[in-house]
Amino acid sequence: MKLAPTTKPLLRAQLTSRPANGHVAFIPQIRKLVFEYCDKWPSSANARRYIHDHLEDLARTNPHVEIVVKQRNQREPIIRGFYLNDRDKVIPLNGFEVTGIQQKVQLLLDASGAKIKPLKRRTVESTTEAARGIWSGLHVDQPFKI
Amino acid sequence: MGYAQKRLASTAAKLASVAPSTLRAFPPKEAVASSSSKTSFFDAQTWAAVQPPPPTALTAFAHRIGLGKVLPSTEIIQQACTHPSFLALYSRHHPNEPLPATNANLATLGNSLLGLFATEYVNASYPHLPTRVLKAAVSAYVGPTTCTGVAKEMGATPLLRWHRTPNTPLRPAVLHPDALSSVPRALTALVYQYRSLLSARKFVQKFFLSRDVDLRTMIKFRDPKLALAETVAKFGRERPISRLLKETGRFSNSPVFVVGIYSGADKLGEGFGSSLKMAEFRAAEDSLHRLYLTRQPPHLLQLPTSTFANGQGSVFDARGPQVPYIAGEMGDSEILHGSAGRTGARVPGHRSTAADEDLEDI
Repeated sequence: MKLAPTTKPLLRAQLTSRPANGHVAFIPQIRKLVFEYCDKWPSSANARRYIHDHLEDLARTNPHVEIVVKQRNQREPIIRGFYLNDRDKVIPLNGFEVTGIQQKVQLLLDASGAKIKPLKRRTVESTTEAARGIWSGLHVDQPFKI
Repeated sequence: MGYAQKRLASTAAKLASVAPSTLRAFPPKEAVASSSSKTSFFDAQTWAAVQPPPPTALTAFAHRIGLGKVLPSTEIIQQACTHPSFLALYSRHHPNEPLPATNANLATLGNSLLGLFATEYVNASYPHLPTRVLKAAVSAYVGPTTCTGVAKEMGATPLLRWHRTPNTPLRPAVLHPDALSSVPRALTALVYQYRSLLSARKFVQKFFLSRDVDLRTMIKFRDPKLALAETVAKFGRERPISRLLKETGRFSNSPVFVVGIYSGADKLGEGFGSSLKMAEFRAAEDSLHRLYLTRQPPHLLQLPTSTFANGQGSVFDARGPQVPYIAGEMGDSEILHGSAGRTGARVPGHRSTAADEDLEDI
């Protein structure tokens, strides 16, 4: 009769690690930012001003992002952000001032590309143990009596 | 999203795509059917796979992982992202042009460096870890699946140039994960070449050794009570005795027992369970985990590669300030469980008895 091995066999396929983006190094999730504007229509006026005045500085301070400027004639101006999880976020820019466009650009730069999930209903999930430990009624001086 | 949509999205991500703004002429001449040319078939997918990635994407990739100043040109980054399987595809479509540089040598060098840094880190952090668990931990930290995951998280998938090759008697198959895993290895080798060994170690610590690996799941025993008894005997301590510490709800439908395992007056471990046997099992497992997973705090780690000077060029010729290295204390070696007595006598190990002899002199 053959006994089971004394130790659990370690199969090669399950030897992996889980990502921890931000624990030591942070990889920004945005890879490309595309500005689409119209040359003629007034709805793109602020977008054209932003591209003319602020886009070069933005590209210089964010070397990890590819920045593309495209024509989008006879339509409203938009910015499209492409992320490492193969999703993209699109924000229309009509109705914004230049400072508003800066805020939307910063929103796209900071985002992760994941779908927006409601945070109020979800319970806390963590890969690490609780920092203060989980309370046990048997490990206190006075045992907990119901 | 349903499974079909997710599958479609991941397949689409693996397919090559070309940004038309980076090409001189789009659509390419081969794609346009003309009456004068002989019938030639144009496959858009193959054409896209042969095109180089745009230099803006390569530079952005380098900056994203913090190597913007380290890697001097986009050709180097392109070399790191070109798998050797690509040469067959390229030579078929551009027979007269010189072959592009691949990451074959870089990946091999980087793989060795990754193994070196991971092994010394795991060994210094967990000095009592059993050998097979140490090897498994190194695979978990820097093995092929992790390298593939790191490449995907860095965003190397659209930059990778490769070609799917089937299994032949002379060489194994090349699949997408195999090609992707060569990219972080090549990047490690490039950091070593353009900076120093210690910079490469910092790079590996940033991207590989900071990831989550659960070692507790790798240390599992069929009979932890027996394993603990053998281990305690090897360390020359009194035999382990389990004692019931706390209990509640016996004979009800939800009892809880807390059992501690003691060697003399020292408590080795504690476990809980809904039966006495289950609690004792968990207590034995907890004791073995507390032994094998004793961890050196990260700020007190002594890594052997710190003895190398931090300078560019050959590690053996570099001159510079060196950090003093104090080797860790060694305890008795691990028990080889289930070895039918082939490890030799079950007497206490010589390092444990040596420690006792020092005490007797006092």
